[in-house]
Amino acid sequence: MSDKLFDRETMLDLSVNIIPLAIMGFFVVVFIVVAPFGFDPMTSALQFGLLVVPFVLLAILTYFSGVAVAGTQRSAPLYLPGQATVRGAVELEHPGESPPPQSETDPVPPEE
Amino acid sequence: MELTGQLALTVLMGAFLLGVLAWLSRVSQVGVPVPALGGSGYGGGESYVNEEKPAGVIRWLTTVDHKDIGMLYGLYAIIAFAVGGLMVVVMRLELLDAQATLISNSFYNSLLTSHGITMLFLFGTPIIAAFANYFVPLLIGADDMAFPRINAIAFWLLPPGALLIWAGFFPLPEIIPAQTAWTMYAPLSAGAGMGNQANAGVDLFLLGLHLTGVSATMGAINFIATIFTERGEKVSWANLDIFSWTILTQSGLILFAFPLLGSALIMLLFDRNFGTSFFIGEGGPMLWQHLFWFFGHPEVYILVLPPMGIVSYVLPRFAGRRLFGFNFVVYSTLAIGVLSFGVWAHHMFSTGMDPRLRLSFMAVSLAIAIPSAVKVFNWITTLWNGQIRLTTPMLFALGFVSNFIIGGVTGVFLASIPVNLILHDTYYIVGHFHYIVMGAIAFAGFAGLYYWFPLYTGRMYQKTLGKMHFWLSMIGTNITFFAMILLGYGGMPRRYATYLPEFATMHQVATLGAMILLVGQIIFVWNFVQSWLEGPVVDDGDPWDLKESGLYTAEWDWFDRKLQTAVTDGGEPAADSGDE
Repeated sequence: MSDKLFDRETMLDLSVNIIPLAIMGFFVVVFIVVAPFGFDPMTSALQFGLLVVPFVLLAILTYFSGVAVAGTQRSAPLYLPGQATVRGAVELEHPGESPPPQSETDPVPPEE
Repeated sequence: MELTGQLALTVLMGAFLLGVLAWLSRVSQVGVPVPALGGSGYGGGESYVNEEKPAGVIRWLTTVDHKDIGMLYGLYAIIAFAVGGLMVVVMRLELLDAQATLISNSFYNSLLTSHGITMLFLFGTPIIAAFANYFVPLLIGADDMAFPRINAIAFWLLPPGALLIWAGFFPLPEIIPAQTAWTMYAPLSAGAGMGNQANAGVDLFLLGLHLTGVSATMGAINFIATIFTERGEKVSWANLDIFSWTILTQSGLILFAFPLLGSALIMLLFDRNFGTSFFIGEGGPMLWQHLFWFFGHPEVYILVLPPMGIVSYVLPRFAGRRLFGFNFVVYSTLAIGVLSFGVWAHHMFSTGMDPRLRLSFMAVSLAIAIPSAVKVFNWITTLWNGQIRLTTPMLFALGFVSNFIIGGVTGVFLASIPVNLILHDTYYIVGHFHYIVMGAIAFAGFAGLYYWFPLYTGRMYQKTLGKMHFWLSMIGTNITFFAMILLGYGGMPRRYATYLPEFATMHQVATLGAMILLVGQIIFVWNFVQSWLEGPVVDDGDPWDLKESGLYTAEWDWFDRKLQTAVTDGGEPAADSGDE
């Protein structure tokens, strides 16, 4: 399921979170390569911890929010946000339904 | 002896609050439960609004209806906005000339402290809670909040909180207002030294702040539970509207940030009253700053994420298009939520902390700019080729985007350590964050108030006055706060009642802008009250013609059903809410 969920469309949506992750990753590398203030076990551990902890937390949240949003986008009836309970609301097409999906790339995953 | 006086006051206040609580519980026992579908703002002189809801004052004291509580939050927030606004009007008048001529330096400090706390905790958080209480259950198809009574308690903690925070301004013997600024930096706030901040007024202030924090936490738990468990069958995560997403994220932030503020406040109160030395001894002031800003920076996003949600919600309705990149906005909201806990020490770059730690905070502060900027691009792209209707809520939404760009870009510079060291504690900071809190957060609040005005009042506001309000606010905001940015570049330090003559011109410009803002807000209050009482009655469930562009949403559908029910009942208020 994960392979289908994290397709090109979902990864594009998640790029807003991937870019900050890349920035933090970039600075981790920079601070390893360039250390003008030297290395101290305690302080340097904090220094990298302050980058690594948000990195990990953001990566985890990005994954689970991607699963929640992209997953229900494919598996549940889709409406314009805020319209689901409106009388006579028109259901939207699932992502990838137009053009009609190929049988091997059916975007509607089977029920759990 | 002073301790005895403080204790007596505390006990007296506690007894008073217990009395209020006992009375309320007594009243609520003889009162009646309130249905999900009820009136929204028409008090009426009869003893019952409908067969399940009492009328008059009893209704408002006993209600657990999310819409009524939303209205209470809104009223409370607007009163606090007026109080905080009038405080700053006095301060800006004082700053017309370089000397302390109108008020004393210490009274200026008191106003400065209370203005900040009032606007952030008594206006900002409650006005968001007003929208969230009223609209989140409607938008997600819930009958009410998950815990309606906790919802009511959360609100009713706020009025005593405000009274305690403002207690120093009341004519109470030997009680003076807090003069610690909203950051409450130790050791000043711990009552140490030769100053007057050991006064019981500061204790009351801290207790009041603590109450507002408890209130916010209770509200946050309620919103998280509601959005997770009370969504309608069709409202999947993918169908959840953007405003509810931002409220969910905000509630998560509150859940982690406010208990820490509460703990730090208790420690501070212990330092002041029970002889501990958390923040007085060596390293204590740094400890306070770390604890405070670990709460304080997420607080910035607690205040700005839901307004971003309002703008993301309102702006597409008047652009005639869906929000561009809806998922971008959702994911970036969540990213901001996480990263907001990793940037706190950028408020402390000049404290002498280890430069290696500063570097990490700088890196995360630069990273968090990305999701914020993504939202701006989404709003602009939504407008692109749209059929734009410049209604008052749309004007305020556009004003939000414009001001947020200036407030945001000036903030990105501050993330850079060298720039920060130059500009720290200058008026540049004041200008930067006021572009966000006034130019963005308050503007989004106004956008929401005007957009949903027909829904919660049943009437339409006066459009010309609404536009006058917008333009005066927009011009006033930019004159006031751009002058402050220039003052900061010139080196004018913040928080002072007096200044060197070279800063006089820019201060006078800022005061002129503040007066323009004042006129705009007077017009707003006039329009708001008069239109509520006498405005043309709205008899259409789609007053903004959203159906034409396919952007009609759940809360208006609820409003339409309510209007239709009233008509079929011959004008009588609806009693049956079973279909909700």
